[in-house]
Amino acid sequence: MTGYQSGLLVILCFNVIAAYAVYLPMAAGQLNLGVAGFMATGAYAAAYLTNEAGWPMGAAIPAGGACAGLLALLVAVPILRSQGIYLALATFALGQVIAAIFLNLDVVGGAAGYPVSAYAGPGAVFAATAAILAAMLLLSRTRFALYLTAIKSDPVVTDLMGVNVRAVQVGALTLGAVVGGLGGGLYAHHFSFVEAQHFNVALSIFTVLYVLLGGVQTVWGPLVGAAFFTLLPEMLRAGGGWRYVLFALLIIGVMALRPQGLVTAGARWPARLRGRIPGRPSAETGLSTEVSGS
Amino acid sequence: MIAQQLVNGLMLGAIYVLVAVSFTLSIGILNFLNFSIPGLFMVGGMVTWVLIGKGLHWSLAILGAVAAAGLVALAVERLSYRRSQAREPEVPLVSSLGFLVLLENLALVGAGSDQQAFPALVPDFNLRIAGLVVGGAQLVSLAVALALVLAISLVLSRTSLGRQVRSIAESRETAVILGIDVGRLVPAIFLLSAVFTALGGVLFALNYLQVSPFMGEGVGFKGVAAMILGGMGSIWGAVAGGLLIGLTEVLSITYLGADVVNVTVYGLLLAVMVLRPQGLFGRPPAREKL
Amino acid sequence: MTALLAIEHLSIAFGGLQVLQDLSFTVPKGQATALIGPNGAGKTTVFNLVSGVYRPTGGRILLAGQDITALPSRRRIRHGIARSFQNVRLMDHLSVVENLLVGQHATTRGLRDLLVPFRLVPNHRWRREAIDALAEAGLAAYADAGVGALPYGIRKRIDLVRATLAGASLLMLDEPAAGLNPTETNALRDHLALLRRRGVTLLVVEHDMQFVGEVCEHVVVLDFGQKLAEGTLAQVQRDERVRAAYLGQAA
Repeated sequence: MTGYQSGLLVILCFNVIAAYAVYLPMAAGQLNLGVAGFMATGAYAAAYLTNEAGWPMGAAIPAGGACAGLLALLVAVPILRSQGIYLALATFALGQVIAAIFLNLDVVGGAAGYPVSAYAGPGAVFAATAAILAAMLLLSRTRFALYLTAIKSDPVVTDLMGVNVRAVQVGALTLGAVVGGLGGGLYAHHFSFVEAQHFNVALSIFTVLYVLLGGVQTVWGPLVGAAFFTLLPEMLRAGGGWRYVLFALLIIGVMALRPQGLVTAGARWPARLRGRIPGRPSAETGLSTEVSGS
Repeated sequence: MIAQQLVNGLMLGAIYVLVAVSFTLSIGILNFLNFSIPGLFMVGGMVTWVLIGKGLHWSLAILGAVAAAGLVALAVERLSYRRSQAREPEVPLVSSLGFLVLLENLALVGAGSDQQAFPALVPDFNLRIAGLVVGGAQLVSLAVALALVLAISLVLSRTSLGRQVRSIAESRETAVILGIDVGRLVPAIFLLSAVFTALGGVLFALNYLQVSPFMGEGVGFKGVAAMILGGMGSIWGAVAGGLLIGLTEVLSITYLGADVVNVTVYGLLLAVMVLRPQGLFGRPPAREKL
Repeated sequence: MTALLAIEHLSIAFGGLQVLQDLSFTVPKGQATALIGPNGAGKTTVFNLVSGVYRPTGGRILLAGQDITALPSRRRIRHGIARSFQNVRLMDHLSVVENLLVGQHATTRGLRDLLVPFRLVPNHRWRREAIDALAEAGLAAYADAGVGALPYGIRKRIDLVRATLAGASLLMLDEPAAGLNPTETNALRDHLALLRRRGVTLLVVEHDMQFVGEVCEHVVVLDFGQKLAEGTLAQVQRDERVRAAYLGQAA
């Protein structure tokens, strides 16, 4: 493997991890527009533990993930009070605040960035990504994953089936943040440097883009979306400056022609949705009125 | 000193107001978080710059830029909004982001990533009122923003067109039943939103005398923040939110340093979202779409 | 004969509209009770109150003597209340068997059940139980179909099967026979008889009086949110006020 190839594969790994961080809450219909903030938390926490506390990498990176998860848990409760687009925008604001705080935190270098004293090679990145992917595949075979989709489909009925919808949503956001934090910690140790500017809105939003492009119907969607996003611009490299133009046209085209994403669950795509009246409230919001028949 | 900063904050806020109104029209009426808006903002500034560079009079250049933004907005309506009406709620959001990437990279290919110097169109005069200094461009921004907001507010509240638009915001299905031509009105809303955004971009260029392919991002995201702060779907909420964000930003820079701007601006936003999710002037929406 | 469900002086208003007013009736344990009445009488509202989707403005709901009026909706299924939906609320993003697995939730316990990757196990107990329940309703062939593409009658009956999987003692069915063809209605009747033999108590909203007569021994008539009459179908059909309410609607 050439240096270029392994470098590209490492980027792909980071994008895949970030994609799963967004995917978990998204599977329950919650848009997380602030994943960069959770990644930054993991990155700085892990780097700090390595540098200042002398922790081994294998402990510091998981601890970074735990910190991101803890932060998510703390904010999930007030944030999840809001629904739909409010939730998305609250995570957006949160991501901005976290990145801005690290930018001003002198103990981790502030705007100058924060060098990390330990290095994780490409092999470690690949192994960690494989482990996260395996965990996601296992998770997708559980009731938890089933309830995520059920909540996305119909939260009122899922609640009536006895599922604690709020707890599952908090769990999904938190678990996603842990995954994002792991990715951030890994990132810090691979590049041996953290700068807050990397964890910006664009990172958050593009990650959402990978996931939606791949599709949230199956657990493979984020992987395919991240791969598409990472590798396609490389393939379009011959197009020079035009490659991102072509790429953007592809995004628009895919969303216009295949809005359910690239990977779908085969015959499961509901035909009924296609017949929906335009502008009808989505299943997420038009509920309590709909149950009332007489 | 503080009074001067307040004035500066309000002037900057005026630009956020235009972007926030644009977002709020899209969210409030169409339930669509239109992420192409930062791109339209950039189109407003960049196309004006290009056309002036080609020797056009500044008024024609601005007109051309607004028209270009309008055309893009119509394309967004066709390809992002309309096509995804019946589908997953996140789809139009992603698709409109695609437009943002497209516009930024087209500008990048055309003009490179550097900041480009924008000619000073407003004569460099300073108005001195009671010890306060107000720049000519600032004054123009505030006046244009105020006039546009007043106009849209009057149109929405007083005219039959406004009533039709508001009925779509209430319930699209009912609007269709009432015989309102939704298929014609929706593109009009996109056009209106594009005019606001593009003029915001022009005003930004007038004030800061520079344009770049990525000029829309920072302002665009603060416009989203302003819209949420004021309350989604409320025009005057967007005005209040925009001015508040402008003030917060300028005061933070002056008293706390430029680096903490995002902490204060988005911290304020987060605090409002936790304490009063519907924003300062908004009411909780009955239906949502991302 | 003891009451499994007791509705006591239940009232609810939406805005200025009084939908239910001082409504009281009981559902005897082990029997099938029909809730009938003209459109808008408040039948589905009763279901929504009993399942906890709405909170009443007055009155109490007792299940086996226990006051559940303030119990959160999600807890009620574990107390034994399950329901189907008038407009079929299957989760369109899930397959038939996946919908049923969600319906089983009330029978599972703890984090372990939540996080065990049971779908890696071929023919896991949960899946088997779901398919057995489908088979009892004669619907086993649809186990792995996506629910969105299925015909209405099938969807409707899957909605019912899902409600049975929680092991509930009270099953509330909102117009289970509406939109079914005669063959499907017969299958539904057999299916309900099977549930009855297992001791499940039924509360049924239904417009098809023949079906009500065949399935339910006890009938409660609602009109404008109040109880008009109660008894066997033959008894309530003789009631003057019931006749007036229905004739009034027909006129």
